[in-house]
Amino acid sequence: MRATRPLALAAAGALALTACGGGDSVDTGGGGGGGDNTLVAAVSAQPDQFDPHVTTAYASFQVLENVYDTLVVPDPEDLTMQPSLATEWQTSDDGLEWRFTLRDGVTFHDGSEFDSADVVYSYNRIIDEELSNSFRFQNVESVEADGADTVVLTLSQPTPNLLERIGSFKGMAILPENAAEDLDLTTEANGTGPFQLESSDASSTVLTAYEDYWDGAPSVDGVEFQYITEPAAALTALQNGEVQWTDNVPPQQIESLGGDDDVELETTPSVDYWYMSMNYGRPPFDNRDVRRAISFALDREEIAEAAWFGAAQPNQTAIPEDSFFHLDYSPFERDPEQARQLLQQAGVTTPLTMGLMVTDEYPETVTAAQVIASQLDEVGIDVQIEQLDFATWLDRQGAGDYDAFYLGWLGNLDPAAYYQEQHQTDGPNNYQGYSNPQVDQLLQQGATETDDEARKEIYDQAAKIIVDDVSYLYLYNPDVVQAWAPGLSGYQIRADKAINFENVELP
Amino acid sequence: MVVLAGVSVIVFALVHLVPGDPVRLALGTRFNQDAYDTLRERSGLDLPLVQQFFTWLGSAVTGDLGVSFRSGDTVTSLIAERLPATLTLALASILVALLIAIPLGTISALRPRSIIDRFATVISQFGISVPDFWMAIVLILVFAGTLGWLPSGGYVALSEDPLGWLQRLVMPAVVTGTVSGAVITRFVRSSVLEAIGADHVRTAQAKGLPARQVFTWHVLRNALLPLVTVTGVQLAYLLSGVVVVEIVFSWPGLGQLALQSVQARDYPVLQGAILLFAVVFLVINLVVDLLYTAIDPRIRR
Repeated sequence: MRATRPLALAAAGALALTACGGGDSVDTGGGGGGGDNTLVAAVSAQPDQFDPHVTTAYASFQVLENVYDTLVVPDPEDLTMQPSLATEWQTSDDGLEWRFTLRDGVTFHDGSEFDSADVVYSYNRIIDEELSNSFRFQNVESVEADGADTVVLTLSQPTPNLLERIGSFKGMAILPENAAEDLDLTTEANGTGPFQLESSDASSTVLTAYEDYWDGAPSVDGVEFQYITEPAAALTALQNGEVQWTDNVPPQQIESLGGDDDVELETTPSVDYWYMSMNYGRPPFDNRDVRRAISFALDREEIAEAAWFGAAQPNQTAIPEDSFFHLDYSPFERDPEQARQLLQQAGVTTPLTMGLMVTDEYPETVTAAQVIASQLDEVGIDVQIEQLDFATWLDRQGAGDYDAFYLGWLGNLDPAAYYQEQHQTDGPNNYQGYSNPQVDQLLQQGATETDDEARKEIYDQAAKIIVDDVSYLYLYNPDVVQAWAPGLSGYQIRADKAINFENVELP
Repeated sequence: MVVLAGVSVIVFALVHLVPGDPVRLALGTRFNQDAYDTLRERSGLDLPLVQQFFTWLGSAVTGDLGVSFRSGDTVTSLIAERLPATLTLALASILVALLIAIPLGTISALRPRSIIDRFATVISQFGISVPDFWMAIVLILVFAGTLGWLPSGGYVALSEDPLGWLQRLVMPAVVTGTVSGAVITRFVRSSVLEAIGADHVRTAQAKGLPARQVFTWHVLRNALLPLVTVTGVQLAYLLSGVVVVEIVFSWPGLGQLALQSVQARDYPVLQGAILLFAVVFLVINLVVDLLYTAIDPRIRR
């Protein structure tokens, strides 16, 4: 559940403390790579900083994914939680105590031994300093070591999604004890992952293979992340061999690249979802009929097509099709007649003006808004698109100063993450002001139900009500789109957009 | 100094007046009140604005511009890291611009309304009106894509790899140089035209000086003043970063840094960058004034 990933154009970049010596500076000039066994990856933005507990930028996590480990980690295929630094765990009968057995023979990049004190330190750092991920430890009363190889988490209530909370991304990374005092974590790293942070500047970040990695040394000698913001330039760099991997593919070219021999393109449905949200504090959007009318007036296929050129799956709920928690529920078929009727029933005089707040930080919101505006125009709703920069957008969202907005939630894995904060009465991210006691009760039940089948049942019920009430107007799940040089192997594209180069082999 | 003090007040006020909250941005879309309060306090943004200003000013006069909210790096190191790339591109672009503007502007002034003059007008109109974004993409697609002669972008230091440095510099310098060159061409043309029409030129011609001598000593020298002015203005503009070209060519210059810090509302970096741009403007204006007196003895009096 990547808390957020503003595709951050973040200021920054560690000063190259150790100016990269010959070995790790990669020749990317015209020629075909030479004998250097380093993977060059084109990413769209510079990491803002490298403290995994502090940063919220996706660009940072692309790098950190390869540098740090967590106790458990999502399986690349189905995203269920698998052992990583913890090899096994037991839950007490009342579900209030989790004992994690830690992996033996793991060392940090500086050679020091990994043990339970490092876990206790890392988790307490997030909790005590109230860092942005502290909400993940909401139910955790204490984190304690029981010997060098066991960590015990004591909870205030059963928490079925605890593994997802501590393992879904590298924001929950395990740092060596006292790392914050010993290192400048914004520019330096000392993890247990397959690669070490070598240097970083305003052009690229360089990682080198960690030979003593507990799961075996990576196949490549290193990875260089080059920041190429312009998608057309990134694609050109891939096609002429300057880089071997990129996730910065121009969406309008996804289709044509399928037949390109210089590029291997892969897509997979992501766990992200995009939605429109209407402000309950601004009549007539507090009226359920009005919101339903708008939902009936939209053609999700067309919106997804405009935003992603077909690389998105329309969905009327949040959770994508591939997930165990997916619910196949689509009560809204485009029906302008019914939309008009509902508006009339609500006593709304058309044309009704609706401001729709979008941001150039996520250009797809702008494209999609134009399609939404033309579709709503047909039922007598005049959409005023308000295109803002993200800082202003967030300000107005926080102040409740909008009729409707368009945004996505990225990187969620567990149904609680998909629904709870957004739809519970007074939830921290329930900006729209939705309140339904029945949903509140279901969400509370779901948060503590430990049986997966029963849990899915509960969230299915909650999701149906949320969709019917149009708390969020769900639109689609976009695909993850990545491209690499033909012959590159050992890389796996993932629904959670984690970028892991541990097993990658160059052509 | 007085100007700088004034600038710093304006910069600080402007930067803080822009709507948007750096703390909310740093925490991302998932809101968490406790984390918000803690981070706000840690970054000193909870203090009164006046107090923040004087703290900043106090350290700024000692050369300490503060620490970036986002990266935790010092502002001076962030700027220093990007200065070489910006200087390189700005100087190379001015070179390209002058190489285009001086011959083109002079020739078209010497032969007004000739084919070559028309051609120059079209070229400079093209340079001014074609978006640099489009020109950059086309260059990448042709020279890095189809022909494969040049890398698609990026930057390496001259000391590290001179050939790679030059290869990566060509396209961005041509794009920004063409735009600046187009502007300068018009100035060169009009100032040469004006100088040719001046009385002293007619006198020089009348007393039988060779055309070449008339041109270098009486026309060009007088046409130089406006050229120096407009070149100075263009250079100052290029030094404050050419955002679009930097982004398309992945050129790690100050423009990108400024844009990133606007988007993140990274106040310390933004203040530092704007302050630097102000200093650059002042210094260039000073240099231009000094050049005036060197070129034109009349100004010395």
